[in-house]
Amino acid sequence: MIRFDRVTKRYPGGHEALKEVSLEIAAGEMVFLTGHSGAGKSTLLKLIAAIERPTSGSVLVNQQNVGRMRRAAVPYLRRNIGLIFQDHKLLFDRNVMQNVLLPLQIAGFSRHDAAARARAALDKVGLLDREKTNPIALSGGEQQRVCIARAVVSRPALLLADEPTGNLDSEYASDIMIMFQAFNQAGTTVVISTHDHAAVLSGNCRIIRLDHGSIQS
Amino acid sequence: MMTWLMHHRRAILTTLAQMALSPVASLFTLFAIGVALSLPAGMYVLLDNATQIAGTLPAQNEMTVFMRDDASPDDVTKLKQQIKAMPDLADSRFVPRQTALQQLSAQMGMSELAAELPKNPLPDAWIVTPAATDANTVARLIKQLEQLPAVALVQADHKWAQRLDALLALGRELINILAIILGIALIAITGNTIRLQIITRHAEIEVSRLIGATDRFIRRPFLYFGAIQGLVGGAIAWGIVTLGIVLLSPQIDTLNKLYATQIQLHALGLTDSLILFAFASLLGWLGAYISVGRTLSRIENTH
Ligand SMILES: Nc1ncnc2c1ncn2[C@@H]1O[C@H](COP(=O)(O)OP(=O)(O)O)[C@@H](O)[C@H]1O
Ligand SMILES: [Mg+2]
Repeated sequence: MIRFDRVTKRYPGGHEALKEVSLEIAAGEMVFLTGHSGAGKSTLLKLIAAIERPTSGSVLVNQQNVGRMRRAAVPYLRRNIGLIFQDHKLLFDRNVMQNVLLPLQIAGFSRHDAAARARAALDKVGLLDREKTNPIALSGGEQQRVCIARAVVSRPALLLADEPTGNLDSEYASDIMIMFQAFNQAGTTVVISTHDHAAVLSGNCRIIRLDHGSIQS
Repeated sequence: MMTWLMHHRRAILTTLAQMALSPVASLFTLFAIGVALSLPAGMYVLLDNATQIAGTLPAQNEMTVFMRDDASPDDVTKLKQQIKAMPDLADSRFVPRQTALQQLSAQMGMSELAAELPKNPLPDAWIVTPAATDANTVARLIKQLEQLPAVALVQADHKWAQRLDALLALGRELINILAIILGIALIAITGNTIRLQIITRHAEIEVSRLIGATDRFIRRPFLYFGAIQGLVGGAIAWGIVTLGIVLLSPQIDTLNKLYATQIQLHALGLTDSLILFAFASLLGWLGAYISVGRTLSRIENTH
């Protein structure tokens, strides 16, 4: 599903965030991406969603070279990817429900279908009773769950989570990890970055370690 | 198709919601646009009325050619041929001095006048109509006619009508210039509102992009906002103009009574109103289009 071929990402200013990274992630896998702060985890996830473009090498998602993708095609790639950000990126000018509805409005769902799907997504993250609340009134963990609901509401084939448990205490964190595992068991490919090894689920998940932009094996 | 409708519905609702968010600022902008548009629209209506009033005035461009007092019937025949030979004249009509005197005494209500006067003081005259009405032709004709031997005087009775025509043409030019300037002002006003809106909705735009919004999806609400704002501004301009006409009407009625005239002021007609609304929305849309392109590319290149 995802394939990096000797990918280097150099940011303006000359810093190399990724150096000759090659990796492959199969459909249906659940993968942890670990490494110290600044190792290049966020950069790697951004390359998958075409938020950043590689300096050299190729990034393939579903056989599409997203590094060379036309600007007009990028939105359709992103609709198939659920993105979860460390800083949530929730909108505080609207309630929880409206935040979760946004991807469906963008994809052009009818209001009726959209409302049903959004409610189902909120139910999965256990926030159905807070749908009318403004996300600013929620705790950090609850905000993260709204962000997850928004990421999964359009049922993407691929879920990318950038340090989803970064600011959460460990009990919340393991709840959220269990949630991701459930999505994975339903068939979604999941990539989770974290700098905290304790957050990695015990079990048979693959771990990709980044160190100063290079993969450690 | 359904998706398309949904998106447009959403864009319209967003626009109204955005306007409701800052009602005072929205009203202020709408009025600024309305006043800006009402200037050319109002001038247009006044000019349109003036043109119509000018059209009801008597024949525009007849000239009277007075013959010398001592002109003989021979001279009359000769002049008749000369006038007939002039290509720039569309029409000519001879008014003998007796007829002129009879008409004058009838107009003055003194039928005996003609009999009482020892000698008819009026000369024979021709009333001629130039084929073209432009000032150059008319001036050249006057010169040609004055040079004919039996002619004493050529009087372009309705020179002022030509002046009015020239004035109306000047007015139309002014309106065009004013419309262009204020149209640009409308684009600028809209552009500024849109720019501020994009900045306040920066977070929403950024998130929407990250979750798969197309350029069109991002732009559409702003374009709608510009067009709707322009349309409402146009409606306000229409209201201002109509109100102005209504307020002027009693004054015109007084004038009508005093001068026994039949002048009626009319407001913007249906076609003109529709053109006003269409232009207002189009300019609003254009202002939004320019602003969205510039502002989005600026904020999205800064991170
Ligand atoms: N937009 C950017 N411009 C310049 N340098 C950046 C940018 N984003 C990240 N970096 C740099 O790239 C390196 C990797 O960053 P990042 O991918 O965010 O690491 P991580 O997510 O693992 O903490 C860091 O040194 C960071 O400073
Ligand atoms: Mg990071």
